[in-house]
Amino acid sequence: MNPFTLLARLVDEAPRRALVLLAVLVAVLLVAPVALDRYLLSVFFLIFWFATVGQAWNVMMGLCGQLSLGHALYVGLGGYVGAVLWVKFGISPAIAIVPAVLVAMAFGAAIGWLGFRFGIEGVYFALLTIAFAEVTRIGFDNWSYVGGAAGFFIPVTAGGGSAINLRGGPLLFYYVALALMVAAFVICAALRRSRLGHAWLAVREDPEAARALGINVFRAKMAAVIVSSAMTAVAGVVYAFYQSNLFPSQSFDIARSIEMILAPIIGGLGTLFGPILGAFILTPLGQTLIALVEKIAGRAIPGVNLVFYGAALMVMIWFAPNGIWPWLKKKLGIPEERS
Amino acid sequence: MTAKTSFSRRAVMAGAAATLAAPGIAHAQARTLKIGSLLPRSGFFAQAGQSMHRGVLAAPDLLKELGYNVEIVHIDTESNADVARTQAERAINDGCHVLTGAFDSGHTLAIAQVTEQRQIPFVVNVAAAPQITEQGYKYLVRNFQTGGQLVTNGLRLIKDVMDAKGIKFEKAVFLHANDTFGTAQRNAMDAIWPRVNLPIDLAEKIAYDPRAQDLSVEVTKIRALNPDLVMCVTRASDAIKMVRDMVRQRFQPKAIISPGSPGFYDEEFYQALGPLADFVMFGLPWANPKSNMTQAFEKSFAKANPNNRFAVDSFNAGFAFEGMLIAADAFKRAGTTAGPQLMEAVRATNLPEHIMIGGPITFDAKGQNPNIGSALVQNLKRIPTVVLPKDVALAEPVLPLPAWQGRS
Repeated sequence: MNPFTLLARLVDEAPRRALVLLAVLVAVLLVAPVALDRYLLSVFFLIFWFATVGQAWNVMMGLCGQLSLGHALYVGLGGYVGAVLWVKFGISPAIAIVPAVLVAMAFGAAIGWLGFRFGIEGVYFALLTIAFAEVTRIGFDNWSYVGGAAGFFIPVTAGGGSAINLRGGPLLFYYVALALMVAAFVICAALRRSRLGHAWLAVREDPEAARALGINVFRAKMAAVIVSSAMTAVAGVVYAFYQSNLFPSQSFDIARSIEMILAPIIGGLGTLFGPILGAFILTPLGQTLIALVEKIAGRAIPGVNLVFYGAALMVMIWFAPNGIWPWLKKKLGIPEERS
Repeated sequence: MTAKTSFSRRAVMAGAAATLAAPGIAHAQARTLKIGSLLPRSGFFAQAGQSMHRGVLAAPDLLKELGYNVEIVHIDTESNADVARTQAERAINDGCHVLTGAFDSGHTLAIAQVTEQRQIPFVVNVAAAPQITEQGYKYLVRNFQTGGQLVTNGLRLIKDVMDAKGIKFEKAVFLHANDTFGTAQRNAMDAIWPRVNLPIDLAEKIAYDPRAQDLSVEVTKIRALNPDLVMCVTRASDAIKMVRDMVRQRFQPKAIISPGSPGFYDEEFYQALGPLADFVMFGLPWANPKSNMTQAFEKSFAKANPNNRFAVDSFNAGFAFEGMLIAADAFKRAGTTAGPQLMEAVRATNLPEHIMIGGPITFDAKGQNPNIGSALVQNLKRIPTVVLPKDVALAEPVLPLPAWQGRS
C-alpha cells in the first residue's frame, strides 16, 4: 500500500471529531508564532520535542508492551552522530539524520536481540535498556574523539543561519519540532493500522496467544525497538542542534529517559494522542509552576515547583489511571476508531 | 457640546514614532541594572548552586556601597539545560538587561544561545569547559578558569609548596571520581602532566565510582603503591569516604592535595570529619583574604547569610559576586542598558580591585579573563586557609601531613 492510500485510509477510518480536533490544532500551531514571544516559542519547542520522543517510546511500550527505561540512549546517539558529522566533516544534519538513525537502529537491534532472543522480559528488559544507556555514557565519557566527559560542541557560527543545517533561532526550531511531532503522529497512526501494528497489539496483550495465532513474536518485538530507536534518533539530532552542545552525562542520563516517558504515560499509553496531550500538559505545567511560585512567594523558592509538579502528576494518575486522553475522548464524545 | 480635535498627519506620525520609541528610550535610560542570576539551586548541582546563591544574596548591599544600582532576579535552573534555556528567555522577557550564571557548562551554553540571539550580555561566573569562549559568542564573557587552567595552576602550586617547604615528593597517585567532572579533570591531567615537568613519579591513576559505599578498595590499592603524595579530584561525599578509609587503614601520605576540585572545602566535609578534615590541601581560584573588597564582602555575606561561613563559601560566592560586579560596573560606564553598548562596556572591563586572587578583571578577544590566579588552600582548624602564594597567604603550609591519630 502506498503512503497516500494509507493516509487516505487513516483519514477515512479516523473518527470525524478527532480529525476536526487534529486539523484545528495543527492550523492553530502553524500560525501561533505570530502571537508567541521567544520564551513561549522555546516552551513550544520542548512540547513538540517531548511529544515526538514520547510517541517514539509509545511504539515500544504502548503498542508492543516492551518497557524501555533507557531511551535517552537513542537521543544521545542521534545527537552525537549528527553533531560529529557536521562539525568534523561538514555533513549537513539533513543528511546526517540517515547515519544517525542507522546507528541508533543498530543499538536498538542489539538490545532487542539480546533481550528477546534470550527471553529477558519485563523489568529485566527495562534494566537491560538502562544498562546499555549507562555503558554508552561511560564509553562516550572516555572517548576523546567526541570530547569525552568535557563535551562536544557545535560552533554557533558554522553554517550561518541556514535552516537546512539547523542553524537558527527558536522560530526555526519551533517549525522543525512541529513537523517532527506531526510526522511521528502520522507514522505511528499508519503503523498502528498496519499488519505490523496489529501484531504489536497482539504481542502486547498476550505474547503466547499471539504466537499461537502465527505471529512471529520475536520479529514483531524487534521491529518495535528498531522503529522506536530510529524515531528517537531523529529527535536526538534536532535536539543536539538546538542546544549546540552534548555532554554524555546529560545526553544518556537516566533522568532524561524518565522525563521522556512521562508524557505518554500521563497522556495515555498506547494511544496516538496520549503522548501529544501529555507533552501539552506537562511541559507548560512545569513552566507555569515556576512562574506561579515566583508570583505567590515574590521570589523563586528552589524545589517548591517540583514538589507541586510531583503532586500534580500523582493527582493526574489517580484521576485518570489510563491516561488523560482516554478520559478526555469520552468527555468529548469521540468514538473508538471505525475499523 | 463636543470639542473638535484635529490631527495633522505630521502630528500622528510624530506620536506614533514616540510611542514606538518609548520602550527603547525607557530601556536605555533605566537607572537600575536588572541582572538575572541563573543558578542550579535545586537538582544535581544544588549544593554548589546554593553556595553561589548566597554570594548573590550578599551582593546588592556591597554593590550599593560601591555606588552601583542593581536589581537582581533570582532564577533556579533546576540543574536542567532545558529549564536554563527557557528561563533565560523568560528573564529577558521580564526585562533583565544582563544574565549571569550558570555553574554547569552545558547550562551555560544553553543560556549563551539565548543571550547571543537576543544581544544581551552574559557574564559567566563559574563554568570550566574551554569551548565556552571558543565558540565565537559575542555577548559572552567568562570570569573563571578553564578546566585545563585549573589543573595547570593546581600542579604548579604543588611544585611551589615543595619549594616553599623544602620537601620532595618521590611518588604520586592520582585518584579521581569517574563522573563527568572527574573524568574531564583526568583527561586534562593526562594532557598536562607531561608538560609541567614535575620531578615526581606518577605511579598510577585510579578512577572510582563516587556513589560507592566506601573507597576501601581504592585506598588499599594506593597503600600498596605507597606514594608520598595523593592527588585527588573528588566531591564532598567521596572526599569524606576517602579520608575515612585512609584513617581506617592507617595510611599516612606526606600530603593529600587536590589540583582543582571541590570536596575538601564543603561544610559537610568539616562536619563529618572534624579534626580529620584538617591539613588536606587544594589548589583553586580563591578569594583574596587581603583584598579590601573581600573583607567588605565578607561582612555583607555574614549579614545576608548569618548561618553560613564565608570561608567555606568564598570560592562560589566570590565568583558569583564578581559576575554581578562586572555587569554593574559596565552599566555605570556605559550609562545605558541597551545590549550592544552594555556588552561593549563589559568587554572593556578593567577592575583592579575585586574579590578573587589574581590580576585585574579584564577580558581578551574571546571574552576570557586571563588574569585569574589560583591559591593553595589548606584546612587549618576546619577553616580553609590560603597558604600560597605568599603575598596573599594567611598561614604557612603545614607539611608533611600530621598523623591522623591524636588530632584535636
